[in-house]
Amino acid sequence: MGNLVEIKKLSKNYFNKKALDNLDLNIEEGKVLGILGPNGSGKTTLIKILTGLLRQSKGEVLIDGHNVGVYTKSIVSYLPDRNFLYNWMTIEDAFKFYIDFYSDFDLKRGEELLDFMKLGKDMKITSLSKGMTEKLNLTLVLSRKAKLYILDEPIAGVDPVARDQILDAIIKNYDSNSSMIITTHLVRDMENLFDDVAFLKDGGIILKGNAEKLREEKGKSIDEIYKEIFSK
Amino acid sequence: MDFNDKLPIYIQIMNYLKRKITSGEISECDKLPSVREFSSKLKVNPNTVQRAYQELEREDLVFTKRGMGTFVTEDDDVIMKLKKDTAKEVISNFIGEIKGLNFDDDEIIEIILNEIKKED
Amino acid sequence: MGKYIKYEIKGTYKVILGILAIVLIATTVLYNYTAKKEFSIIIALASMLIFGTFLSAFLYIVGSFRKELYEDRGYLTFTLPLTGNQILGAKLIVAFMWFFLLGSITVSYNIFMLAKTSGEMINFKELLSLINGSEIISFAIMILISGISTLILIYFSMALGRVTLKNKKIGGMWFIIFLVLSTIIAWIQMKIVTISPYYINLKDWSIVNSNISSLFQIEMGSSSLMFSTGEYSYVNILGFVTNIIAGIILFLGTGHIIENKIDL
Repeated sequence: MGNLVEIKKLSKNYFNKKALDNLDLNIEEGKVLGILGPNGSGKTTLIKILTGLLRQSKGEVLIDGHNVGVYTKSIVSYLPDRNFLYNWMTIEDAFKFYIDFYSDFDLKRGEELLDFMKLGKDMKITSLSKGMTEKLNLTLVLSRKAKLYILDEPIAGVDPVARDQILDAIIKNYDSNSSMIITTHLVRDMENLFDDVAFLKDGGIILKGNAEKLREEKGKSIDEIYKEIFSK
Repeated sequence: MDFNDKLPIYIQIMNYLKRKITSGEISECDKLPSVREFSSKLKVNPNTVQRAYQELEREDLVFTKRGMGTFVTEDDDVIMKLKKDTAKEVISNFIGEIKGLNFDDDEIIEIILNEIKKED
Repeated sequence: MGKYIKYEIKGTYKVILGILAIVLIATTVLYNYTAKKEFSIIIALASMLIFGTFLSAFLYIVGSFRKELYEDRGYLTFTLPLTGNQILGAKLIVAFMWFFLLGSITVSYNIFMLAKTSGEMINFKELLSLINGSEIISFAIMILISGISTLILIYFSMALGRVTLKNKKIGGMWFIIFLVLSTIIAWIQMKIVTISPYYINLKDWSIVNSNISSLFQIEMGSSSLMFSTGEYSYVNILGFVTNIIAGIILFLGTGHIIENKIDL
């Protein structure tokens, strides 16, 4: 299978600080890639470049053969690490918004997920707790039949029950025709979701590979490898 | 099912299913849960479950019926072989440990017979 | 883009209608409680109210654009499969619509209240002939266009400020850019008006040269974009065209920044 995402020699500088440094990474079609690293390692910078919220200083990013732009935005379903819906919206409005702008939105799937998350359509965005916001955002993002899902810290700061629901929703709605990128520093909770992992440190990838192979080679869980790399 | 081992997840899933088969919890011709169902239950990537199923299929322990799902083999011999292989593994572990206690072979057999009688 | 216009309206209509409600109540109060006093005072106060309406709507619209650039909602807006020009165009169309709505309703309401409190019968025929006058309409359109180009200039300044200054929320930066750019544009416009002193009469569409016509020399300096004598209003043709061209360039510039340069 081919690569859905190809990242070549990607750098991003903020004044004199390097957020990403000559980074190479490919994401295969149908695979779930975990980008692992502590806060400040460059995960969010990388994600923002893929979603078109940031521009690279150097290097190339191709998604489905295209530079980041209107087309890639139409095939990427992005879960930011914050509440990004407009404050005036109800959940119903947010659904309509997604239906209007994303032709790949599957209303049936959306309604099932909403039900599963125990959210009601008449709720106001501003009245939701952090966990509920995360669940709603994930509902919207997963209800699209996108080619690429990008989930930025999907379980950070939510309670264990919501965490289980979120993991469940991701597994149930992931389909093998799509690729998925998940960033996290909560490796233990999420490691079983990944086909491939990339460890990001100071804006560069210091280890990447197939998760199972890494477990086999190192005789360690991904979580243990993570701790080994980042506790130094 | 916990995955805190250092083994690849797909091998752990295979071992888990093998134990279910040898203990008879899952018997011949039973349908295994679908990849999606099982991956959601175990909270692992569906591709991993898929791989475990494929490896089991390669070992002839399961087979897929197109459009129906994955089933445990109908072949008694294969299951018997799995049982024997598992037994060998258990025994070799056991022998390794008991030899460490410095018994000779006759003593070991005697201990085993006594224990089995007690169980009955 | 139509869809984005829909959501722009949905997101802003409550505040705009709120402003409208407040100004209509204030206007009513104004006419009822000061009815016995001088009409000139009432009209002055009413004009201030209308100005205030526009100013608050303007500030609100500018503020909501700022929120796209500096707050989390930008994560949704700028990952939509839309071009920068589509997003910007939708925002401007909705702003235009609101200004038009606010302007026509507040002015009509004032005329209505004026007629009502003055106790005279309204002469609708006269009123209509007044409104139908191409002069007033062209003048209103001209003002709306200037308002929109100011808005574009502000959007451009904000977008540019966001791109050049990356360490977040130095709020005043865009305003400095705005002042500098307005000065430059006004200067260019003045030069062009001086070079090409041809004005169009908004009432009968006749073209006059302000250097030749003695009327102009008396009324004002010869380098003004727009002015009116007692009877006629005049707009400098090339000056106005410059205004529109500047607006278009800034529009495309802002669209480009939004689509290709923005770092959230």
